[in-house]
Amino acid sequence: MQKSTNRKRVSSSRIQKGAQQWKEVIPYLLPGLFLFALFVLFPFFFNLYISFSEYNIMPGAEKPFVGFANYVKAFTDRKVGLSFRNTVLYSLVTVPGQMVLGILVAVFLNSIGRGKILFRTLYYIPVITSWIVVSLIFRYLFESGKAGLINYFALRLLGIKPISWLQNTWTANFVIWSLGIWKGIGWVMVVFLAGLQSVPKILYEAAEIDGAGFWDRFFKITLPLLQPVLFFLFVNLLIGSFNVFIQVLVITDGGPLGTTEVLLSYMYKNAFSFFEFGYASAQSVLMGIAIVAITFTTRRFFRAEVYEL
Amino acid sequence: MSFRNNSVKLILYLALFVGVVVFLTPFLYMVAVALTRATRIMPYPPILFPRNPYFGNFAVVWSRNNFGRYFLNSVFLACSSTIVSFLVATTSAYSFARFQFPGKEMIFRFFLISMMVPGLLNIVPQFVMIKFFRLVNTYTGLLLLYSSTGVAFQTFFLRGFFEIIPREMEESIRLDGGSRFTIYRYIMLPLSTPALATLAIFTFSASWDEFFLALTFIKSEWKRTLPIAIRLFQQQYGTEWGLVFAASLIAIIPIITIFVVFQKRFIRGELTTGAVKF
Amino acid sequence: MREINKRGLLIVIVSLCITFPLLGGGKQEKEAEPRKIEIWHTYSDAEVKVFDEETIPAFEAAHPGIKVVSTKMPYDGLKQQVIAGVAGDAVPDLMRMDIIWVPEFAKQGALTAVSDKNEFGAIQANLLPGPMRTNYYNGKYYGLPLNTNTKVAIYNRSALTSLGAQPPKTFEELVALAERFKGPEKWGLGVGGTSTWGQLPWFWSLGGRLTDDNYTRALGYLDSSGSIEALQTMVDLNRKGLIGPSLLGAEPNTWAGIQEGNYLMIDDGPWFYSILGQEAYEKTVWEQFPKGKGGSVSVVGGENLVIFKGARHPEEAWTLMQYLLTDEPQLRMARTGLIPTTKSAGGNPELEDNELVQIYVKQLQTARPRTPHPNWEKISEAVGLAFESAYREKGTAERLLRETAQEIDGYLKD
Repeated sequence: MQKSTNRKRVSSSRIQKGAQQWKEVIPYLLPGLFLFALFVLFPFFFNLYISFSEYNIMPGAEKPFVGFANYVKAFTDRKVGLSFRNTVLYSLVTVPGQMVLGILVAVFLNSIGRGKILFRTLYYIPVITSWIVVSLIFRYLFESGKAGLINYFALRLLGIKPISWLQNTWTANFVIWSLGIWKGIGWVMVVFLAGLQSVPKILYEAAEIDGAGFWDRFFKITLPLLQPVLFFLFVNLLIGSFNVFIQVLVITDGGPLGTTEVLLSYMYKNAFSFFEFGYASAQSVLMGIAIVAITFTTRRFFRAEVYEL
Repeated sequence: MSFRNNSVKLILYLALFVGVVVFLTPFLYMVAVALTRATRIMPYPPILFPRNPYFGNFAVVWSRNNFGRYFLNSVFLACSSTIVSFLVATTSAYSFARFQFPGKEMIFRFFLISMMVPGLLNIVPQFVMIKFFRLVNTYTGLLLLYSSTGVAFQTFFLRGFFEIIPREMEESIRLDGGSRFTIYRYIMLPLSTPALATLAIFTFSASWDEFFLALTFIKSEWKRTLPIAIRLFQQQYGTEWGLVFAASLIAIIPIITIFVVFQKRFIRGELTTGAVKF
Repeated sequence: MREINKRGLLIVIVSLCITFPLLGGGKQEKEAEPRKIEIWHTYSDAEVKVFDEETIPAFEAAHPGIKVVSTKMPYDGLKQQVIAGVAGDAVPDLMRMDIIWVPEFAKQGALTAVSDKNEFGAIQANLLPGPMRTNYYNGKYYGLPLNTNTKVAIYNRSALTSLGAQPPKTFEELVALAERFKGPEKWGLGVGGTSTWGQLPWFWSLGGRLTDDNYTRALGYLDSSGSIEALQTMVDLNRKGLIGPSLLGAEPNTWAGIQEGNYLMIDDGPWFYSILGQEAYEKTVWEQFPKGKGGSVSVVGGENLVIFKGARHPEEAWTLMQYLLTDEPQLRMARTGLIPTTKSAGGNPELEDNELVQIYVKQLQTARPRTPHPNWEKISEAVGLAFESAYREKGTAERLLRETAQEIDGYLKD
């Protein structure tokens, strides 16, 4: 008896305390939370609901519940498999590509004196340029036939006959990947460069006295110390790479034979070309689950305890 | 970590220079095409340095499809959404960095997970909401969408910076009887300028480039924004690439200018040291 | 100095932000007396000029109570716009949409059935039956054809001259010319792609079929011997190097190729001439699509006018719709190369002098519409995939067409 009233008292005081805390934070928290709930969280649950129905866009139309039918369909659809393959390949190629090249540029930049800022600015320009615009540029650069710029140089400098870049699966994927890497290098560079500033100089000096070479210092000091930065880069690039969409839409629109389709472009087609909203939503939910799962698993490979997911 | 050897340094410069050339060729090509006349057919050999630059494309672009109007619309929308996002994101990040309240980490986790789920299909439910508030075809509606879809990332990004600001700095204000708002206004904001500047350019360029939402939610022709105008130059049949790229250039030059002018301010060492400690 | 400059820039930006809404305020829409109806379209720049500056003012003068807002939509993402509008109950009153979309949106319940209107019978009697058919869904008509088009054969003038030939009338003649024309960077046939829109004139003219006449079955039609032979003929021509790289989406594209003399012949709609203008007239010659086993069968394109269920002013929209299907506006738009859909305008002497329109009108007499079915997009994608696979020799024409026919029968039943 005694105990339970005590517990009650404790819990009620805890509630009071919580309420007090909420009262304090609410003016600051509310605007963001409100917007988030309305336009991000609500659509999320709305999509979840749609994914279990045969959704009709007309207001007030019937939306029969179909259970897991849309999910079952996604697992048996050959095109989902193909888009999944291309999305994963895009991640596997562009995430390491951006990281390696971006880090390389950052290390180079960190080692030179004059002109650092100029180079840094120039390398960053693709990052802030609109995806649509750069996709259009790449499509035009890799135009087939002898008049395309890349083909022209390939012929002039290397003697390679004009390639139909966008008309073959792997060359088209290559173009999409190149764009992804090209656009992201600058961002990796800036973040890593900033990370480099935080490494105490004294460590390098000590290593140098011990006779460690440049790459020794890079692999034994810089990388281990900057693991949190690497993880930050990795997670952001990974999430970004799963969202590959506009470049595919603009450059190949999934062709040839639908073999460059990625998850989002296929989803888009299902929803807005074929009106299969239920099916598209099911794909969206599955994809979200996949990304969250991958992020959690890869966390282990980085010994970073900082990520409080 | 620096190279003593001068010849090594020279090689580094050379490598960086070659990298920049390769890196910027696409832009150069875009400029060249924009300065070429009659671009429905690709010129052969390709032109990288137009001998007689033709500025007609820019004149056509600016005068056709209300382009000037759309440009100003975009300026307005990008500026105001940057301001709105600034207010929402800083207060939100402040509450996660400096307050204790039940459910805090759970809400934050929701923020993080929402960043991973693709938002492509949200457009339909978002439309339902905006319609419910009678905000279709208003900039207010678009502003709400832009700031709400960005709030998760921005909170996540800023929280790290706010948390590394030493708490001791607030003590004196507290002793003087300063409120939470005083701390927010006079400690948090001024001490995280680089992060805020970074965020500002992110939000600015995000809404400057945004296409799908603007196209869907804006119904009046005269309220349209720049990315829509660029798309109008891509015809169903026979695109004139000179016009498309001239329009694109007009669209990206402001962003690049703002970036170059303010870049010293926002790419700083503090950037990641804070961001990785979330 | 620098600091001041930055501050200056900031001030400029901020003041722009503050003053801009005020500038916009002047133009604020006032929901005043005349009822406003909005129409969405994707007219080209030249067409917009005529529509906005001549057609609409003429209509508004005749109907003082109605004001028309004409909105040009970007072709990209257009369907998404319509869907979002329909879902959020924020559609315009009318839209000029691609003919193949009508059954699909009708099935979704987004369109008003115009065949329920009193005046419908009289209007329908004056419309060309082929384009009219594309508005049919489930016993009713959901739109009216506003303009129609098709593709004809377009030849490079100087190539024909150097071959000493006239535009060929039959497919055999065309192939024979193509053999003679063949050379480095020279191909006889410039085909627009492997999509249904690009392929159907060739496929149909060579004797292929998609479905039966009532659009209920593909099995037995798409995989008939005539269809297999038609596709196989094209695949063989491609293998022999008589079809240009535009077939698989590579450069030179059909427009560049026909103007630069890489292609002897392409097929395209009247917009080829209305967009390119004088240059196109000088460099090319047009003729009906060459006859093959199936005849000279091109594909019907064009746009229909529809009224959305969510229209604010459906009556006024219907008034505009009726007006746009009278002779005067039809003939006015015909000057930009848009082919009228009314019989009365078709017989007008003004049109008879317009050689460009005439050749398309003639070709239209034998042209076929694409399958008017709500699942057309899926059908089209499947057929396009089969064609592309055949050209890339991923399978025999027979197997590809049979599998696709089975798939399509599933869509047709839905």
